Amino acid sequence: MTIGNKYGIQIIAVKQECPEADENEISEEFRRYEEEFLIPPEDALRSVIRKFQLASGKQVSTPSSPQKIEKKVTHFSELGSDDKNVTMEVAVISYTPRMQMVRGEEKQIAFGWIEDNPWEETSKRERWDFKDWGQHSANLLPNSIVRLEGVSVNEWNDKKSININRSSRVTILSEGDSNIIKSINEPLEISELVKNEGFGSTVGRIISIKPDVIVKKDGTGTLDIFRGRIADSTGSVGFLSWVPFDFESGNLVKMENISIRKFRDTPEINISNDAKIELYIDNSFPQIEDLVHTTKSNISELRNGMRDISITVQIDSWNQRKFTSEDGSEKIVRSGDIIDPSGRCRLTAWCDFNPVKGDFVELSGSRVQFWQGSPDLVIDDLNQVKNLTNPPWEAINTENHWVDVDLDDLVNGGSRRGIKTSGNIISIRADSGIIHRCPECRRVLRDDSCTEHGTVQGKEDLRLRFVLDNGISNASLLLSKEPSEELLSSKFEEIKEQISISGKDHFLSSLRNMLFSQKVEVQGRALVDNQGTMILAEKLSISNHDLSKEANKIMEKWGVVL
Amino acid sequence: MISATRIKRQSAIRLFAQEYSESNLTEQGIGEYDPSFVITKLGIKVNRALFCGVIDRLEKREGDNGPSFNGQLRDPTGVNRFNVASFQPELQVEMEELFARFESGDRFLMAIVGKSRWFEGDEGGIFTSFRVEEFAVINQESYMNWLIETSDATLRRLNFYELSLGVDINKESLISSGLPPDLIDGTLLARQHYSNADTENYRLGILKALSSASGRSVEDSDDSIQDKEDIVENIANNQTDVNPADIILDTIRNHDTGTGVEYDKLVESCTLSGISRESAEDCIEDLRDVQGDIIEPRFGFFRLLDQ
Repeated sequence: MTIGNKYGIQIIAVKQECPEADENEISEEFRRYEEEFLIPPEDALRSVIRKFQLASGKQVSTPSSPQKIEKKVTHFSELGSDDKNVTMEVAVISYTPRMQMVRGEEKQIAFGWIEDNPWEETSKRERWDFKDWGQHSANLLPNSIVRLEGVSVNEWNDKKSININRSSRVTILSEGDSNIIKSINEPLEISELVKNEGFGSTVGRIISIKPDVIVKKDGTGTLDIFRGRIADSTGSVGFLSWVPFDFESGNLVKMENISIRKFRDTPEINISNDAKIELYIDNSFPQIEDLVHTTKSNISELRNGMRDISITVQIDSWNQRKFTSEDGSEKIVRSGDIIDPSGRCRLTAWCDFNPVKGDFVELSGSRVQFWQGSPDLVIDDLNQVKNLTNPPWEAINTENHWVDVDLDDLVNGGSRRGIKTSGNIISIRADSGIIHRCPECRRVLRDDSCTEHGTVQGKEDLRLRFVLDNGISNASLLLSKEPSEELLSSKFEEIKEQISISGKDHFLSSLRNMLFSQKVEVQGRALVDNQGTMILAEKLSISNHDLSKEANKIMEKWGVVL
Repeated sequence: MISATRIKRQSAIRLFAQEYSESNLTEQGIGEYDPSFVITKLGIKVNRALFCGVIDRLEKREGDNGPSFNGQLRDPTGVNRFNVASFQPELQVEMEELFARFESGDRFLMAIVGKSRWFEGDEGGIFTSFRVEEFAVINQESYMNWLIETSDATLRRLNFYELSLGVDINKESLISSGLPPDLIDGTLLARQHYSNADTENYRLGILKALSSASGRSVEDSDDSIQDKEDIVENIANNQTDVNPADIILDTIRNHDTGTGVEYDKLVESCTLSGISRESAEDCIEDLRDVQGDIIEPRFGFFRLLDQ
């Protein structure tokens, strides 16, 4: 009967477990597993058996986690042979590690002696064996007193002992060893140094230094400071010294016990009384001429708070507007979009700079300010601009200038405009859909109330929020009204009506069915700060590619042969 | 360097059931908001994952605080367990719908994003699982996409795992050998804890996944058909006898051609006879370490002692 059926062997196996199951149904189930779920029949066997067992109402064993109730004791004598999740304080007498095969794997375990009643003299204690299955060696040093939590009793040949498991907690209550103090005097390369705020040391060459004056905020006068820049072959970083600085441009110095702080988004070395700076001798260290290039930037590298930037850009648009400043005088501000091969940003000029679209200019000594979360370049003086007659790159077509950036690079870089990236949608946020904004400030209202303007009549808007994730990096992803309408192929009013008819849960669930786990491409701008990365997308599209081509690409990439 | 960086959102690791379920190294966050991790043999720290597969098991439990769900998704390499807790009302309505579909006998492909969790057996065995954050029923094309992406991610880890084998196990050496930042801490912990991973076995899983995804079928060798027939025979012979030790000893006796019988096969023979995976594993250990009836001359392969 089952002969000739391609699943014959499996059907026999299922029939033995579930005699009343229909053979055609079993065969159909194996076909579904193979064709629809891509599980070959030999792997599907258990699943199919379980399915027919369930269908016949047969009780199937379930994976369960035993209920654990904590048991607190002070003496070993209070423990029974099957007590679990025990909490007690003990003195560690000995600790002997050894390797043992556990479930086919070599594991380090340890055994030794512990005594109960650890705060009393030895004559009042009882000694038991223990086994450490959880590699708690650091907390179980001989002569220490520890609290054990979540340990269990083991009885073998009428002798009870303690099992310290992986999930057990060992807390040191009395311990003599001193902790190892981390050294901060080991010099780091500048690219490493600037990764984290805190204290550190470095070796570098001073490439600029000048005195500066800070006006105290409370109006009590001024402070003399020094500003400069120090570089090594991995990069450069600005520094600010609050104490007299006796070194000059070109000096190679070792800086110890300096603090690295962020001024806006740009790391900066702060030198105070505690710091130690001395000349350093290393004849192989790069000379100042070789280090200056590290100060030259492109748009993708701009961060809020940067100064002294040299950069070459292409002008994409230019406008000027007049406004009345606080002191009543009329001022002109000029600004426009600029691009380079790495991206796009804005340039603001507080001087009589009037370029035209398509010009190439080299800017020096420019600084970065943040405007709506994105870094913008600022120049104050026409001397900072040099017109280039020989363009450094072929004029970029600005209509569709989206720079492809890997999500990993994006989240590890700074805020950028004009980028394109990809990843999978792994979360559809519950606040996606129709929202109400404050008519004054456009903030999203909560319970019809704006944090700034109180209870107001909100203005309806459409917004979708997702999490984009490529398995290594992630970013929150925001679609405003127009890109949302495009994605959903319907207009605001239709979407609003759909939500009011079938409910918000249904709307979210349909979004999830459309997008969850899907690979998508987005273009827009990215805002990066210490909370993470947010992408404001102007367009989101579901990637569609040839699956077998994609599979081949991966096999080629990693040298796999089918 | 002393630093204080904020905890950012953990990325969703792409990994197959095999790599996750073979993990038994975990790291519990110390502070209230510190993430916890399962660390795999290939050296990735998993706090959150995106995993897919066909629904293989789905159970509902009524508790004092509302229902909770336990389930399993099967991918080409094994099963991943997941849980929806009673304190996740936002997931309950749709889980109920899926549960009804499952109970009616329907099976379907799903994608789940979940957070790592685990249970511990009494002797240190770790059983890995996920707490569901979001899920959806997906079509076959989406599933194939996930198979390809996850193969890519696993091959990347295998590549760097193998690279790390020739390198001293300390952070500086791993960094200078070119290991990417997301793998450094995990590789350090994994290499200190696990004996060497069976990379060929992982490759086999990836090949299964890639061949499914590219529409090619993996040919059954005569050997494995023979195996299945034997298993069927075993079921027939042992139907009334549910002593796991006998099943394990019989399976070895019938299948050992000189190189031993694989661990998974022993467990499979037991589960086919209605014995839980946990008791099968315990019994193998008991036979090897306490009774001394079987030996493990090579990692993962068992023989009878008297042979």
